[in-house]
Amino acid sequence: MQTVPAQSASIARRQSLEKTDRNAGYRMLLPAAIVIAAVTLFPIVYSIFMSLNNISLTTNGFTEQFVGLANYGILVKSGEFWHSVWFTVYYAVVTVLVELVLGMLIALAINNVERLKNVSLVIMLIPWSLITVVSAQMWDYIYNGVYGVLNYLLQALHVIGAPVTWLGSPTSAVIAMMVADIWKTTPFVVIILLSGLQMISQEYYEAAYIDGANRWQTFWNVTFPLLRGSIALAGLFRILQAFGVFDLPFVLTSGGPGTATESLAMLGEQVLFGRLHFGTGSAIAVSTVILVLAVCLVFLSAFKSMVKGETA
Amino acid sequence: MRGIKKTAAIAGSVLMVSGLVAGCGSGNSTGNQTSSQNTTSTKTSSSGVVDFSHASGTIVWAAPPITTGTDLRTALIKQFEKEYPNIHVQLQSQNSNTDTNKASLTTTIGGGSATPDVYLGDVVWPAQFANSQLAMPLNNVLPKDFWSRFSNGLVSGATYKGQIYAAPFFVDSSFLFYRKDLLKKAGLPVPTSWEQVQQEASQLQKSGLVKYGFVWQGASYEGLTCDFTEFLADAGGQVLDSSGKPQLDSAQANKALAFLRGLITSGVSPAAEDTFQEPQAEDVFVQGNAAFMRNWSYSWNDSQSATNSKVVGKVGVTVLPKFGGGAGYSTIGGWDLYVNPHTKNLPAALAFINWMTGTEAQSIMAKQFSEIPANASVAADPSIQSTSPVFKAASQTHYVSRPSQSPNYAQISQAIYTNVNAALAGSDSISDALKKAQQRIESVQSSAGGGL
Amino acid sequence: MIQTKTQRVIGYVVLILFLVAIILPFYWMVVTSFKPNTDITAYPPSLVPKHWTLIHYATAFGHFSFGMYIRNSVIVAVSTTFFVLLFASMAGFAIARLPIRAKTPMLIALLIISVFPPIAVITPLYMLLRTIGWLNSYQALIVPYTAFNLPFAIWILRNYFLQVPGALFEAAKIDGATVFQTFYRIFVPLTKPGLFAAAVFTFVAAWTEFFMALVFNSANQMRTIPVGIALFSGQFNVPYGEIFAGSVISIVPIVILVVIFRKWIVSGLTSGAVKG
Repeated sequence: MQTVPAQSASIARRQSLEKTDRNAGYRMLLPAAIVIAAVTLFPIVYSIFMSLNNISLTTNGFTEQFVGLANYGILVKSGEFWHSVWFTVYYAVVTVLVELVLGMLIALAINNVERLKNVSLVIMLIPWSLITVVSAQMWDYIYNGVYGVLNYLLQALHVIGAPVTWLGSPTSAVIAMMVADIWKTTPFVVIILLSGLQMISQEYYEAAYIDGANRWQTFWNVTFPLLRGSIALAGLFRILQAFGVFDLPFVLTSGGPGTATESLAMLGEQVLFGRLHFGTGSAIAVSTVILVLAVCLVFLSAFKSMVKGETA
Repeated sequence: MRGIKKTAAIAGSVLMVSGLVAGCGSGNSTGNQTSSQNTTSTKTSSSGVVDFSHASGTIVWAAPPITTGTDLRTALIKQFEKEYPNIHVQLQSQNSNTDTNKASLTTTIGGGSATPDVYLGDVVWPAQFANSQLAMPLNNVLPKDFWSRFSNGLVSGATYKGQIYAAPFFVDSSFLFYRKDLLKKAGLPVPTSWEQVQQEASQLQKSGLVKYGFVWQGASYEGLTCDFTEFLADAGGQVLDSSGKPQLDSAQANKALAFLRGLITSGVSPAAEDTFQEPQAEDVFVQGNAAFMRNWSYSWNDSQSATNSKVVGKVGVTVLPKFGGGAGYSTIGGWDLYVNPHTKNLPAALAFINWMTGTEAQSIMAKQFSEIPANASVAADPSIQSTSPVFKAASQTHYVSRPSQSPNYAQISQAIYTNVNAALAGSDSISDALKKAQQRIESVQSSAGGGL
Repeated sequence: MIQTKTQRVIGYVVLILFLVAIILPFYWMVVTSFKPNTDITAYPPSLVPKHWTLIHYATAFGHFSFGMYIRNSVIVAVSTTFFVLLFASMAGFAIARLPIRAKTPMLIALLIISVFPPIAVITPLYMLLRTIGWLNSYQALIVPYTAFNLPFAIWILRNYFLQVPGALFEAAKIDGATVFQTFYRIFVPLTKPGLFAAAVFTFVAAWTEFFMALVFNSANQMRTIPVGIALFSGQFNVPYGEIFAGSVISIVPIVILVVIFRKWIVSGLTSGAVKG
């Protein structure tokens, strides 16, 4: 009899505490929410709206005619669209996987050395800080089939006999683009993983050491599980970025040879601003978002089951 | 006559256009036949022609860099402001990448901005820009005799469905650049047929005088459409026939593409030719590593500048040849002056265009910057022709235009350059590539739009 | 970290190999920026400039008012980074640690926003900015950059706030600290590596963004570095020397930033500060 009011009082107190916390939470969310909503809400809704309309530009601005999913119907029937979907998926999956593995190796290396940390950090950030178009122009210059330094070095080292036109055949152009991308964006992965590593307490490692775990066991049982949030984060946002790849093919190949390296973002830009078909162009943009979210979900669930499997 | 037409247009335009366009598919252009004369922006006389003799105020001119080194744009603005002290022209430097330039103009003007008032745009834009109302028709606001100053064919290139959407500013023409020192050493004449170019190039390479024979533009981009259109015309073919049907599976197209692919496989052109745009081709040529080059007029100045070129004084320029001999074709390139339909200062914009296409500005452009003038009397002026060998060659050039009269030109061109490039890269056979280009153009023409 | 000597040596070898691979292409860019034009496209290329020249740097500053582009970029990138860190740390903390509702939908919405292709939103955003008269201003870039970089920053900071042990939160509350005090006295200092990462990514994103800067700020005196460098090119020429010179200069502020804040990410935390 006595305990019941006490219990309910403590529940009530906990609830009111939780309410205070919740309200504080909303207050802390507010500034970000306002800025994001003010800037992105209208453009995104408008873009989805455009994808459901036939858009013409007139002197009065955009004129819409509702067509439902017709623009998406055009996409589904277009070989050009599917080609760029497959290219983009293939490109994103390969580059992100390679970047995650390389990024992990480099982050662990930086984390484990005593010296060179600052230098490594500065060097790591150079590719990431370069303007994307400029880094593409740099690779274009390096890959040039007539005076490029890559051919020169490889010939000097007798790896190749004659100059190779790196950007001239579908296979080598895709690989060349991937190399340029991996060079530029692996640092992104490294920084996320490195800051994740910094958050892991030394005590875990000491405990593992006392338990007699070897280095590999320590990595799989301590580092990897504790880093899984950072790995997922790096993977997720790299997938997002990779699906938007534009500058590299734009500068290096303009989508060529033929249309071998035409990414979704390039096709979207072409349809929007080259061909001035705003409805179909917006439909490409919206489809990209849906596609990326699907890939992200696949990545997250695959990643989750992998981590669970390892730590169980 | 003009007065009546004008009144009708004013009565109908603003309301009608939006209604009509909303009712038809994008890409289907029937909605745009009504004149979209901008009625809000300016005081027009009863004939529609705008009197700009007392124009004043500030206008913004958007233009990408035209020349390297001294800036032609600022030089012209300075002179214009001296003569029209009441008008101030603000230069908005645009990106020199045509796609990026076009994207930013589309966003700005499509978004309803009143500036830039005047912009420099590619000669292939009129149909598409007219169709999307990004350019104002100028034939009603400028006097009829204004248009007689331009060289033949330029105004019709800027015309779409009976309206003129731009004033030609300068012409880009392509030429055959050659190394006169090498030809002299080998005792060879300047070639007058494509077969001869290939044969002489190969001979110069074999004798060890030069690394590559002939460089041109083979990358997957608009420039390849220009190059291919020329070779196709030189072989006696055309992209579209007079009824507008594509003719890319013709024997002539096969001949032209087989020749281009042969240049690469025979080693006369570098293996990397299928990745070359203008800069890459010129880089090879000014390094002294190519005997012949197909390029636009700008290359003359570049090849004669000691900071960029190792072949100063060793270069000759002539008309492009043809298959079997004779003067061949150059694609019509170049840039026009367009007016933003939302401009708030049409008189000043027109005064600027009038001056920019007049003899004074065009002479400055030709004499000091070696751009081929759009103004016929300046182009024909012997004192100007003598300033650059390019002008002499230009006067003998035959022109072929790209099929830019279609609002879907961007897709037609892409059908050409992506497929031709695939054949050049060897990833597609010649006949397959041409078949694909042909089918793609047919489907672009027959589809109701949508851009894919 | 407990490790043997061989492990340490392997670590150094791996690291140095990677660093060399990263630095080589950039070395080539720097070297090229000091070569005269005729040497830039020469073959065989000279691995060290035969003739050194500063002409490209002079052209960038003299002919193209590069100094002004740098000033604009600094203002825009620093302001963006400041606002993003401020708002994102609060929001990230709230999502990670406070009992607010609909967290998952929020996180997914943020993901959608950051994935939305910029080319698709640029036209409506332009119309919005034109309507409120913000074109050709710093806020025309700062506000959209802040909005589009917030989602990622919130995600990343949420991730780090989650790694701080929950016991600390409870302990602070028992001591009578308010939620906000707990946030900035305990959580912010403990998540410096995350703040560093978020700051670097935001700064770089604002520093290198091209398309919005191109379209929203078309007046020359409001141009930023990426747009300015793109103006170096002519229709038919890619002046590698000037482009690379401009890019080398544009790296400098980032290097300074990293040097100042490096302690936040490498060995910045005393070991054991974060207990599980």
